[in-house]
Amino acid sequence: MAQTEDPRRQKILARVRKALASPAQKPPQHSVAATYAPIADPLERFRSECAGNNTECIVTPNLRASAVAIADVLAALPAGEIFIQDAPELRAMGGAWSRHAVHWSTDTTPGNSNKRPGESSQATITLAETLVAQTGSVLVSSACGGRAAPFVAPLHIVVATAAQLVADLEVALARVREQGTALKNSYLSLITGSSRTADIEKILVMGAHGPRRLIVTVALSKE
Amino acid sequence: MKVALFIPCFVDQLMPDVGVDTAKVLRRIGCDVDFPMEQTCCGQPAFNAGYWNDARPLGERFVKIFRDAQAVVCPSGSCTTMVRNFYSELLAGSALHDEAVQLCQRVYEFSEFLVKVVNRLDVGAAFPHRVGYHDACHALRELRLKQEPREILRRVRGLELVELPYCEDCCGFGGTFAVKFNTISAAMGEAKASSASTANAEFLTSTDPSCLLHIDGILRRQNSRVRTLHLANILARTEPAAERSSEFAAPGTAQ
Amino acid sequence: MSSAAAEFLREAATKSADLAHREIIRLGIDKYDEAAERGRARFSDWQAARQRCQEIKWEAINHQDRYLLQFEQQLTARGGHVFWAETGEDARAYITRLAQRCGVRTIAKSKSMVAEEIHLAAALQKEGMQVFETDLGEFIVQLRNEPPYHIVTPAMHLTRTDISALFKEKLGGVDSNDPQELVGAARRWLRQAFFAAEMGITGANFLVADCGMIAVSTNEGNADLGMSLPRIHVALSGIEKVIPSLKDLAILWPMLATSGTGQPITCYNTLIGGPRTSNETDGPEEFHLILLDNGRSELLEDAEQRDVLHCIRCGACLNACPVFRTVGGHTYGTTYPGPIGSVLTPHLRGLDEYQHLSYASSLCGACTDVCPVKIDLHHHLLHNRRNAVNEARRPWNERLGFKLWRWTMMGAGRFTVAGAFGRGLLRVLYRLGVQGSALDPLGPWARFHAAPRIPAKSFRALWRKGIGAD
Repeated sequence: MAQTEDPRRQKILARVRKALASPAQKPPQHSVAATYAPIADPLERFRSECAGNNTECIVTPNLRASAVAIADVLAALPAGEIFIQDAPELRAMGGAWSRHAVHWSTDTTPGNSNKRPGESSQATITLAETLVAQTGSVLVSSACGGRAAPFVAPLHIVVATAAQLVADLEVALARVREQGTALKNSYLSLITGSSRTADIEKILVMGAHGPRRLIVTVALSKE
Repeated sequence: MKVALFIPCFVDQLMPDVGVDTAKVLRRIGCDVDFPMEQTCCGQPAFNAGYWNDARPLGERFVKIFRDAQAVVCPSGSCTTMVRNFYSELLAGSALHDEAVQLCQRVYEFSEFLVKVVNRLDVGAAFPHRVGYHDACHALRELRLKQEPREILRRVRGLELVELPYCEDCCGFGGTFAVKFNTISAAMGEAKASSASTANAEFLTSTDPSCLLHIDGILRRQNSRVRTLHLANILARTEPAAERSSEFAAPGTAQ
Repeated sequence: MSSAAAEFLREAATKSADLAHREIIRLGIDKYDEAAERGRARFSDWQAARQRCQEIKWEAINHQDRYLLQFEQQLTARGGHVFWAETGEDARAYITRLAQRCGVRTIAKSKSMVAEEIHLAAALQKEGMQVFETDLGEFIVQLRNEPPYHIVTPAMHLTRTDISALFKEKLGGVDSNDPQELVGAARRWLRQAFFAAEMGITGANFLVADCGMIAVSTNEGNADLGMSLPRIHVALSGIEKVIPSLKDLAILWPMLATSGTGQPITCYNTLIGGPRTSNETDGPEEFHLILLDNGRSELLEDAEQRDVLHCIRCGACLNACPVFRTVGGHTYGTTYPGPIGSVLTPHLRGLDEYQHLSYASSLCGACTDVCPVKIDLHHHLLHNRRNAVNEARRPWNERLGFKLWRWTMMGAGRFTVAGAFGRGLLRVLYRLGVQGSALDPLGPWARFHAAPRIPAKSFRALWRKGIGAD
């Protein structure tokens, strides 16, 4: 039976239509007051929000400097796989990380035909779609190394540039619409800080199921 | 200014001192106070229990009794709310609906009347004690009164106003709720009672006599030294009174 | 009185007297209050934000058919399957058959109130599948074999000591009171589930019509693992979750977080538009979205209470409610506790059985004040009460009592006489020492209050005598 011929669907829709025949009172329209104060300095706001949500924000002059900063981070990690999104910018930076067991996202490894980070990978490195100053957030998509990349390892590193930073969520979502990001990707995630829970006595604990650390490198310019 | 007193049914029967003191204060500030004797009840108990068909005739009766009043003043946030916020819905379809909506705009809670209508924040009262104010739910959330009672209390000579912790928490009275769900109601009342002790208040006051009846019953059961007085009771006192126990008797005392 | 009502009264009495329990809840709510106040201060106009959310939801609910169809069309074009379930049984049957057909043995489940509502996990477990609750709070209550206590923080009634003992017994390998270590233990345990699961089940916070995507928010990241590692992703949502546009999330996401936990925004706000596409490197091969009615279209018919369907399940009303804070979430005995549960449950599960929840409130209005989408919650409790009376579901003695009461109040003379008689009777009875005994007419009141002092004269009697003239 074709989906649209399912009698349950017809019945539910019929009930909904019948119900909506009686109008409900519309809330009085107020003037569209701004709900947030305008953001004067997005980069400064991004940094202070990151400090508040446990994102380590590293501002660098260019991508080469970002690569070096990341190399320092990797050097301090226990030995293990580093999963990296296979993108030209990251390939160009990859020289700085060659000492580590790099797994590019396009490689399939034995027993891992899914092209995703291994269960015991130490870190993942991806690009991002957009950075959002209002909340200190990173918007990633499945094009940024896949769905699992931001979540599987205890450390997620985002490589971004200042040109990717927008002031607020409204602009970020408008950009998603303009660039067709929502249609090109089956997956988008707005990430704000490291994985956390307060389910035990409302005490905040980092590293529930997702990464315990999130690092965002923001290069002021590409070169 | 001519004022018609709207005295809640249970105040009339169980806490007449609240009505007496309300009249006293209004007269002191120069109002011409009347008490339309035909009044009985605004209908809130039936309305809150869902018996709107039984509440409706009482609403219509109220409108007829007070229709000629210039201003109606009531020493209860919940009863004022019933008239002002709910009569429109209750009397929808009644011939008196439009008149009710008109009348509503002239019905005021006591502290609201003092501050917003006659602008008398200082009513010449004196009460040198530590007093905690309980934000009664209807007064707070339906009539949007928060600062008004406090502004008046701050101008009472010798009165030290203390903010109670969790002052906006419901006391647990809620009408028939106090009977049907008495265990929950009592727990809420106990929390309110202990907030007064925590703040070291000598007295707890409010705009709503129903709250005070409930909290007082719990305080006295606990043998607490905290006593309750309605806002009108405090404002009626014009000079530091001697510590005679009958001065500060609980609500519903025989005159 | 229905059995549910009798059970509620019993539980409420127990919990009201349980001071330790009340203290735990108080501490949790105090932390929430502090965080929520900070969260609201981030808005330059909090009331305008609530207004905006109310408008978005009003638009969505009052044109629900249009937006549901748009959503379905978009999602189906992207390879997603949409199943319309009239009842919980429809949904359970669909998911069970799907799981059986695909040979699913292990399921990684993220928080879903709809799944709770239809008791999905139990149904799947009965078919021999292992269902792992991955939200930490849900995981904890699953181990304890009890329902969630709160729709946002399911384990808020437990101390770290309770949880430590639980983990020591059920998980082994951990013997600590430290929340960090306890979370670590849960993480290690549940990672196996994520990697072994053939199916991931999630809820959905919003269904975005103009791009055919579901929005799922978590702080832990468990939903994301459940939506990326297993081969099949099943999501459940009530039909009322649809919103018109992606741009609406710019205000709804922060409002949900601020009201839910006080955070500026939840850690992971994820959008899923179907299974993986051919050029994506990972992700589920199949995506099924279950649209559940289960009484919602009936509530839609009630134009007066239609706004109850605006609810975004933030839990703020639970936190604000003094009744919830006194008796806790389990006392309600329903999927949805607190004010929203008290309003909603009679509609979803019958007024006869559940009207008592609408009466178990002092109508303080704190819930209505905090609701981010401005649902008129406490007034709907009144409406439910009125409906109960008008549909003749109240006890005969109560109906008679109010008829008598009304008759008395309709005449000043009658009222005066009745009042004088009542007061006189109480004075006599109390002088005889009846207060607090079985003969006390104020029985339930007397259990917790000292007897009121009964005045000799009413106000009107004093007025007649000229009192008040100073």
